[in-house]
Amino acid sequence: MKYESQRIAYWFFATCMLLFGLQLVYGFIMAFAHAGLDGLHDIIPFHTARAVHTNLLVMWNLCGFMGAAYFIVPEESERELYWPKLAVVQLVAFVAVGVTAVIGFHFSWWEGRKFLEIPRPLDYLVVVDVLLFIANIGMTILKGKRITTTASVLFFGLLMAALLYLPGMIPTDNQTQDSYLRWWVVHLWVEGVWELIMGGILAFLLIKLTGIDREIIEKWLYVIVGLTFLSGILGTGHHYYYIGTPSYWLWIGGIFSALEPLAFLGMAMYGITMARKGGRKHANRTALAWTVGCCVMSFVGAGFLGFAHTLPQVNMYTHGTLVTAMHGHMAFWGAYAMLVLAIITYAMPLLTGRKLYDRPGAAFAFWTSNIGMIAMTLAFGIAGVTQVALERRMGMDFLAVQEEVEVHFWGLILAATLFTLGITAFIVNFIQHGLPKGDVEATLGGAAPDESTDTSDDDGAVAAADPVEA
Amino acid sequence: MLSKSSARMFFLVGTALCAVAFILLTLDTFQQIPGQTNQDELSPAAIRGKHLFDSSNCMGCHTILGEGAYYAPELTRVYDRRGPEFIAAMLRDPAAMYPGRRRMEQYDFTEEQISDLVAFLEWVGKMDLNGFPANPPLAANAGVAAAPDDGRPAIFGQMCTACHAVGGRGGSVGPSLDGVGTRFDAEYLTRWLTDPQSVRPGTAMPDLPLTEAQVSELTAYLVTLHD
Repeated sequence: MKYESQRIAYWFFATCMLLFGLQLVYGFIMAFAHAGLDGLHDIIPFHTARAVHTNLLVMWNLCGFMGAAYFIVPEESERELYWPKLAVVQLVAFVAVGVTAVIGFHFSWWEGRKFLEIPRPLDYLVVVDVLLFIANIGMTILKGKRITTTASVLFFGLLMAALLYLPGMIPTDNQTQDSYLRWWVVHLWVEGVWELIMGGILAFLLIKLTGIDREIIEKWLYVIVGLTFLSGILGTGHHYYYIGTPSYWLWIGGIFSALEPLAFLGMAMYGITMARKGGRKHANRTALAWTVGCCVMSFVGAGFLGFAHTLPQVNMYTHGTLVTAMHGHMAFWGAYAMLVLAIITYAMPLLTGRKLYDRPGAAFAFWTSNIGMIAMTLAFGIAGVTQVALERRMGMDFLAVQEEVEVHFWGLILAATLFTLGITAFIVNFIQHGLPKGDVEATLGGAAPDESTDTSDDDGAVAAADPVEA
Repeated sequence: MLSKSSARMFFLVGTALCAVAFILLTLDTFQQIPGQTNQDELSPAAIRGKHLFDSSNCMGCHTILGEGAYYAPELTRVYDRRGPEFIAAMLRDPAAMYPGRRRMEQYDFTEEQISDLVAFLEWVGKMDLNGFPANPPLAANAGVAAAPDDGRPAIFGQMCTACHAVGGRGGSVGPSLDGVGTRFDAEYLTRWLTDPQSVRPGTAMPDLPLTEAQVSELTAYLVTLHD
């Protein structure tokens, strides 16, 4: 850590841990309800648990991105944050809006539009809050000593994420238009501009962790985000097959969605190649594991499992079934949850001066949560495929099928318990780091060799040759 | 080989072209949505129903147009599948309709709100959705002809066949009603439809919100069902 104001990232990351933990609780409530135990129905009915579960995910991912930006941008721009105090205000406001929304959901204060349940007055506050954040980051980059590609891609991703929140607020009475605009937000976020944020954060991590020349990493960053938009923008069409929109979306969505795995495959190859060819043995191997794991799992979850049901002929039967939950869980885990956990794992030793990445708990967290998530995906997959076969193909009644697949939700609960053990270990490891402390100089000069390497100028540091082309 | 500036060009040009194409397609789609969704038939009641659907977070359990959560049934074609009487009864008292099974929230809607929601679901049910939802190709009764015109009252097709089958068509939750007129007489069936618990305590048969006229209409039909 080179700059005092990077420290604010710690509080964003701590918020992530809190919201993530809470998200899991609501996940369990839904899993038990699906398995037939809905004892909380009168207090927290399924649709409340669902709104809380998905909105907490979005909140802690965004919170992680903001924390990551506050950590990365000063280092990339080689200066302190432009308005360090504003970052604090902005976090407090963000948490206040989030807490209000989550409490509101328990009292049926919501919009009831999948993933965008936050009620309209709070939407405006979210926009204002994110604009403050964008302004802070933007000014820091503008007034910085240098403008790097990594920082620009990250900034562009965050700015577009803020702008693309707006179409979801256009009022309409037509369910189809409503749905159409909702995917402008949801799809263009997670399969569009969030991938820019992901690309920016990954590039930063790979530069730091592998020591490969910045020019090379950033060149491939352009290729990856280029592929993402090439496939992802028109790939929005896979949400427009069956909602009352023209039939040309069937082939436009089909073709461009089929290309989406390529972007994720590119991301996976990029991460793996850079990690293998990198000349620097950074001591924080756990951070590298999360970084490469993120690249690989996002390919499996978002790329491969997404492709498994985006062909229109397949989607005709899987649309609106648990198959979507299968893809959704691993996609979000791989692409965004693991990304935030990667930057946290990388940043925590630098923020707090304690290197706990070698603790058994750190490796346990990585492996247990990933194995748990793979098992969860399998459970959702089996339940989903069974639902498609019995309900959509054979015409069995919905509730009868749900009772058939209850057993798979017990499997899901077991898998989710394993996953939760892993996440608990991660949170414990986070807490053990303690609060951010020590002045910047101490971290800079008195650190262990790996840290001093880390803070040296990383540009063109180790490998001059492009490992991909070599 | 590939230089950083050509990689940047690839990103910028590719993104710009795709974004322009997407915006043009969106403009065209918005031209076509009103026709494809019969927007001229979108009544004020259906509009109120849509906003009630949202503010009640129905999508938090159900799917509509295949979108939402996977805890409760797809509602796109529910107007055709169940009919207005069934939907209204379900909204009045969901617990009565499926006793002991997965629960729906008791919303305490007014009758006006219920008819708004029914109007909304009726409108959604008529949209052109490019063939979604497909008829189940492997359904056991896929080859069975449509329900015969055997004098069945409309309410039978909406309330009873959700759980019971006649001639192989209908639900499988309750027993088949084939031959029910041979096994029971009108007096027994009337008592059964009015208060199932007094006839057979603990039965899963719901205490349906039926009017007296509906009960006698149903009974008159049921006694005609012989083996």
